[in-house]
Amino acid sequence: MTDLALFWTGLPADLQDALIALGLLCPGLLAGIIVLHGLAPWPLIRAMLGRFGLANVVFVGLIAVAVGIGVGLTAQERGLRQGSARAAEKFDLVVGTPGSEITLMLATVYLQPSDVPLINGPQFAEIAATDRVVMAAPIAFGDSHNGAPVIGTTAEFVTHLSGGLAAGRIFQTADEAVAGAYAPLGIGAAFTPSHGHGPATETDAHQGFAYTVTGRMPPTGSPWDRALIVPVEGVWAVHGLADGHAPENAGRIGAPFDPDYFPGTPAVLVRAEALWANYALKSRFTRPDMMAFFPGTVLAQLHAIMGDVRAAMSLLAVVTQVLVTVAVLAGLMILMRIFARGLALLRAVGAPVRYVFAVVWGYSALLIVAGALAGMGVGMIAAALLSRIVTARTDVLVSASLGWPELHLVAGFVSLTLLLALLPAWLAVCRPLIPDLRA
Amino acid sequence: MPPTGAPEVRGLPLSVRALKVAAPDGRVLLSLPELDLAPGTSLAVRGPSGAGKSTLLHALAGLTEAEGQVRWGETDLTALPPAGRAAFRRACVGLVFQDFLLFEELGAEANAALAAGFAPPAQRAAIRDRARGALARLGLGGASGRAASSFSGGERQRIAIARALAHDPAVILADEPTASLDRASADRLIDDLVALARTEGRTLIVVSHDAALSDRLDRSIRIVDGRMQEAGDD
Repeated sequence: MTDLALFWTGLPADLQDALIALGLLCPGLLAGIIVLHGLAPWPLIRAMLGRFGLANVVFVGLIAVAVGIGVGLTAQERGLRQGSARAAEKFDLVVGTPGSEITLMLATVYLQPSDVPLINGPQFAEIAATDRVVMAAPIAFGDSHNGAPVIGTTAEFVTHLSGGLAAGRIFQTADEAVAGAYAPLGIGAAFTPSHGHGPATETDAHQGFAYTVTGRMPPTGSPWDRALIVPVEGVWAVHGLADGHAPENAGRIGAPFDPDYFPGTPAVLVRAEALWANYALKSRFTRPDMMAFFPGTVLAQLHAIMGDVRAAMSLLAVVTQVLVTVAVLAGLMILMRIFARGLALLRAVGAPVRYVFAVVWGYSALLIVAGALAGMGVGMIAAALLSRIVTARTDVLVSASLGWPELHLVAGFVSLTLLLALLPAWLAVCRPLIPDLRA
Repeated sequence: MPPTGAPEVRGLPLSVRALKVAAPDGRVLLSLPELDLAPGTSLAVRGPSGAGKSTLLHALAGLTEAEGQVRWGETDLTALPPAGRAAFRRACVGLVFQDFLLFEELGAEANAALAAGFAPPAQRAAIRDRARGALARLGLGGASGRAASSFSGGERQRIAIARALAHDPAVILADEPTASLDRASADRLIDDLVALARTEGRTLIVVSHDAALSDRLDRSIRIVDGRMQEAGDD
């Protein structure tokens, strides 16, 4: 590693980002300094702003929308990544039967309906009895109520996930439930689960069985906030299965489960006594009859796969911005034809070509900078709106805010377009003087 | 005083020799074998429309490419590149146009002090002072902040004259300055223009259709079909 690389990596991250932003801005700033140095074009730029008031508003608006879309999308994409990662934080290690890790992750962490084979009693017992496993919670899904997923698990996992209830108490019998923070039922409400999700829901499948809500979780920022969480024994019971315990332990809920009376569970959330032990457990349960994975790792792989899409999206955003700006600059060239007589007057009275150039470039630069700044505002609003929509649709709490990547995008855009703005300025000073003066 | 660093040109004689201006298609627009003008004098250039009066003015200001010689003192404009001619105008020439050519959105003073925008920083305050002074002498001192668009035609041309004087030029070239004005306004404007030029020793060349103008200026020539006739040839 060179000294420079060492110096760079030793800098605080914010300083690195600020320097990158400055570096991106540099070409545009440098052009501005060179073009405007020693001149005072502002009164004429003000005159041009006054002359073309409506066109200015349209141009600034177009740039703002283009920048805002780019900034909003990238901020949103990052917010979604962070939100989805945050939602998976409490899911240390998931064990299921061999198959798609992504499918099982989507089902357990994001509660997306899916049909997966079950971990059986002996397998579960082995997992629960393994050294260094401090929690092995079955996660059973498949039912719903008014669109909210009904998930069976243990009180221990609810406490782990929520860090303690916000109101009420944890379920103590198989017919009690805890509501997620935004689940459609309050404490004391009773509900009968429906079998399945969405259009395939069988509403009458579990008639005669009702859960009563006894507590409410605080928000977790995950789809579990919309869920109704019940003892896994309740899920088994409504499906007419054994309840995981021997007859002499009838009515008991939670671990330990009896392998002989364990009907099966699609997934098991495993927590080790220490972080490092999770790796050993993952290795141990990755075998022909079981698979184990870290949801965070699977998510990172998904994000990596989507990385190219993200890069393409960012590129498209920049291209859109540049195209809009080119269109605006083309519009400016047309405006310059209207303003050509004024510019010809300047040259006639002896203004240096550099001054006329500075007037046109300064005017364009002002529109670009104003559009970019307004675009950041548009981007913030767009990101906030998109966050709400995505949060409402996925139940993953997405909070997108503008950060350094967006500032870098805007800095690069401003710099590039300030350089592009040299073109209409150059064309303006290349116009014939006498015809423009007589126009 | 001219701007610091600019050549002292007030009182420079004009000497034109074998001046020829051609259109891009080769057609001769103006052919002027000889014209001399003493420093500080005023000249009326008259003639019918399309005769080449404005072309002569443009050539004298170095606005157009020309053959021959247009010498202001020691400076031969035809030998200078466009940037050199612009520098000469910046230092020595004040221009007044028929339809004022003001920036309508700017105030009278901002228009009159236009040259401050591209003058060296050390000269900007002086240009603004002279612009204010010129506006005051032309009767617009109390309205220097008003937008140019709010003034009458005669007042706007006064703003244009103030602009032509603000950088203290040796030469004022006016192209049909009264064409957009009524008779009374035109007379008053010409009186002011001539008085300002004379009292400050500037050379004044005015292109105009107006026959009455000849009486007010020191000398008059006619341009017909791109060729010069002394006024006596009328």
